[in-house]
Order: sequence, then C-alpha cells, then structure tokens
Amino acid sequence: MLGFDYKYLIEVMPIIMRALPITLSIGCLAMVFGLALGLVVTFMRRSRNHLIRGTANLYVSYFRGTPLMVQLFIFFFGLPQVFPGLSTITAYPAAIIVLSINGSAYISEVLKSSIDAIDYGQYEAALSIGMSPGQAMERIILPQAFKVAVLPLGNTFINLIQGTAITFMIGLKDIMGMAKVSSAASYRFLEAFVAVGIIYWLITLIITRLINWLSYKLSKGGII
Amino acid sequence: MKKLILGIVLVGVLAAVVAIGANMTKEVAAEDSLVIGMSGGYKPYTFTDEKGDLVGFEVDIWNEIAKRIDRRVEFKTAEFSGLFGLLDTGKIHTISNQITVTDARLEKYTFSDPYVYYGAQLVVASDNTDIVDLESLKGKKVGVSLGSNYEEMIRAFDTEGEIEVITYESYQASLQDITFGRIDAVLNDKLAGLIAIEESGLDLKLGGQPVKMLFNAFPFVKDQDPDLIQDVNQAIEAMYQDGTFEEISLRWFPINITDK
Repeated sequence: MLGFDYKYLIEVMPIIMRALPITLSIGCLAMVFGLALGLVVTFMRRSRNHLIRGTANLYVSYFRGTPLMVQLFIFFFGLPQVFPGLSTITAYPAAIIVLSINGSAYISEVLKSSIDAIDYGQYEAALSIGMSPGQAMERIILPQAFKVAVLPLGNTFINLIQGTAITFMIGLKDIMGMAKVSSAASYRFLEAFVAVGIIYWLITLIITRLINWLSYKLSKGGII
Repeated sequence: MKKLILGIVLVGVLAAVVAIGANMTKEVAAEDSLVIGMSGGYKPYTFTDEKGDLVGFEVDIWNEIAKRIDRRVEFKTAEFSGLFGLLDTGKIHTISNQITVTDARLEKYTFSDPYVYYGAQLVVASDNTDIVDLESLKGKKVGVSLGSNYEEMIRAFDTEGEIEVITYESYQASLQDITFGRIDAVLNDKLAGLIAIEESGLDLKLGGQPVKMLFNAFPFVKDQDPDLIQDVNQAIEAMYQDGTFEEISLRWFPINITDK
C-alpha cells in the first residue's frame, strides 16, 4: 500500500482540475481589484495630508504584517460576530475581498518603489513645461513606473493564486480543497498533493511567461 | 489592431473564468433547505467517492432526517477548523462530522440527542507495547485532530502537563507521523482508528482498551429555532425505533455505532 501510486496521480489530476475555475477566478479578480486598490493606496501614501498618509501606511503595514489566513479568518468568522450584517457575505466574494485587500498592500509597495525609481527631475521638468501634477503623473511617471513594476507585480499575482489554497477553510472547494477531499477516501495524500503541486506549478509557469512577454513588449516601448 | 484583439481575448477569457467560478460557488440554498456542514475528508463518515459525489454515514443520516421532517437538505464541505465558524455565522444549520458533546461545547451550543456512542481510543505503532492508557502517555507525544475534543480530554487528565499534545489538521497525517516516529500515539475514536489501520496499510495497532465512553450529536447555535431541534430529535428517536440507524450504520461499518 505504501510507495508511490502513479496511476492514482494521473486519475486524481482531472478531478482536482475541476476546481480550477474557482482558483483562477479568485486569483485573477483579486489581482484586478488589488491593482486598482493598490494604486489608490499608493497615491494616498504620497499625499501631503498626514492623516491620509498615516492611514494608508497603517493599512499597508497591517495587511503585509499579518498572515493571509488570519485576515481571512477575521473577515469571514470574526467580523460577523461584531457586525451581524456581514454574515450574509458568502465564501466566494469573501475570499476575493480578502485576497484583493491583501494583494493591494503588496501592490502598493511595488508601485511606490517603482514611482520612486523614476528620476524626480522628470516630474519637475514636466511641471516646468506647464503640465499639471496629475498630467505629469499620468503621462510621464506612471508609464515608466509601470515598466519597472511589471515583474514584481507578476510575483504578487503568483502569490495571490497560491494564496487561494487556504480558502477551503471557509468552505470554498478550490483545487487544494479538492485535493484534500478526494484523497481522504483513498488515503493517497502524497499523490494528491503532488498532483495539486504540479497544477500550481503549471499555472505559475504560464503566468511567468505572460509577464516576461509583457515586460519585453513594454521595454521595446510598445503597448503603453 | 492586434493589441485590441489580444486585449479583448484576455478580457474574454478572464470573464469566462470568473463566470464559471462564480457559478460553481453559487449558493442556491433554497429558503427551506437545511444546510449541513461537514469536512468531506473523514472516511467513511463523509468523503467523496470515485465519481466525485459526497457520500458517507453522515450524508445518509441527514438525507433520512430531512426526509422525515420534510425539509430539503444541502451539504457544505469545509476544512474541519472552519466548520464551527460557519455554524456561528449562520452559514450552516448544524455540523454532521462526529461532533462529540463536551462541557465546553455545551456552554456555547445546543446539541440534538446523540446518534453515535463510542470509545476514545489510542492508536500506536505495531511494535509498541508500553502505551495502553492515558497514564502511560506521560512523557510521550500524542497526536490529536485540531479542534477535536481529544485535546481537552488529555488536558483534563494531565493536569501536570506531562503529556505533549501535537495537533493535526488531518487525521491521516497524524497516523502517518506515528510510523515516522514523530509521535508515539494518536487519540481518536476507536472505529475510525480500526478502519484507518486496515485501509491505509500503515504499521499500526490499537493501544489498550478504549479510554473513555463518549457520544456524538449535532450542535446548533443557542438561538436556533427550538422547533427545528425538536423535529430533528423526533426524527432521531423514530430512526432508533424502526432500526433505520442500525441499517445505515451497517452500510458503512462492521458494527452498529449508533448502539446505545
């Protein structure tokens, strides 16, 4: 009975893959919302207003400083005890919300350092020829900053996809949950975990290729 | 033009994935449905068969109870450590996962009448002869399932803190760790132990006699409609009377685990 059962590995692969849309959709949506939210937070951190800047810094510090699992537990099980209205949120949107917020903290850190990487002289030059601060940001700084940010943002995306692995805790049957449940009947845990590991790996490889391609295109001055 | 097409294709793929994902997780719980939480990873109580359907002792019990009290039933699977959170936040009506009635749980939940009676049992390596009861665990490492009542049981006995308790997310992983020599014993229910030893083929055996008699029931939040609990209790009573419990039990186990 012990040893490695290759046949089971092949068998369990398509069963686990049935949950792929859940893993991918949570990861992709969290990345999209995380980017939007992360951009807002980045601007808040550059604000002259102490309160806005302080709030944004605290936000980033908390969501980078606590494990995703803790955030998910607090949001899904903890907050509804204090605010009963929140208990109507189901597991799927809850996972997207928590992962988006978590991702936005890391994304904001990436964007902030990317913006800082662009020579401040360019910003001043843009203002000197009559652009507004907003225009200087939009036309000069952000397009260049985004090129710098693409590779580290790819890391965040990969982290978000793999972060979905804990969502079975709140009852979402993602590929990890599927691997746990389907292997319980056969006691073939090693095989199921190897199978789910291969799937995560393949997703990561695909994302890496896409990001590298995007980065290459951007470096040639295309797209944006 | 190429970029535009590429962009549209990417957005289209994303939208499709999201639509499928959202659809798969849509919770279609009808108003009158009973939603029963379980781990889905505790054979033969609750697990998925080769076809990917959720089956097991708990599933059969609730299909029968629901039929008798004329309610529809839906099953929700989640990690064991998340089940009580789902119960507290009203996302499920009760948990059907061999939940043992304990004093700590009685403070927070109202339990139905018991449906399973059993003994807590130590599982040890085949060549282990010194672990036979809680007393002989002193100075040893024992594995229990996270969130289960076995840790409480050991703590209540071991007031001096001489037993090292290791908690596991997965029961099977704890059994495997005995064979790896990482822990000396696992405390769980006798029947699950017997079945796991037989099916996993691991080099294990039962250590001594059952440690303590216990009973399992369905926990409800305190402000649950008492009529529902009463209905469930009546169904349980009726299923004892006409032998349905014995019949379901023998479907999954060599003995009748519902026997009082």
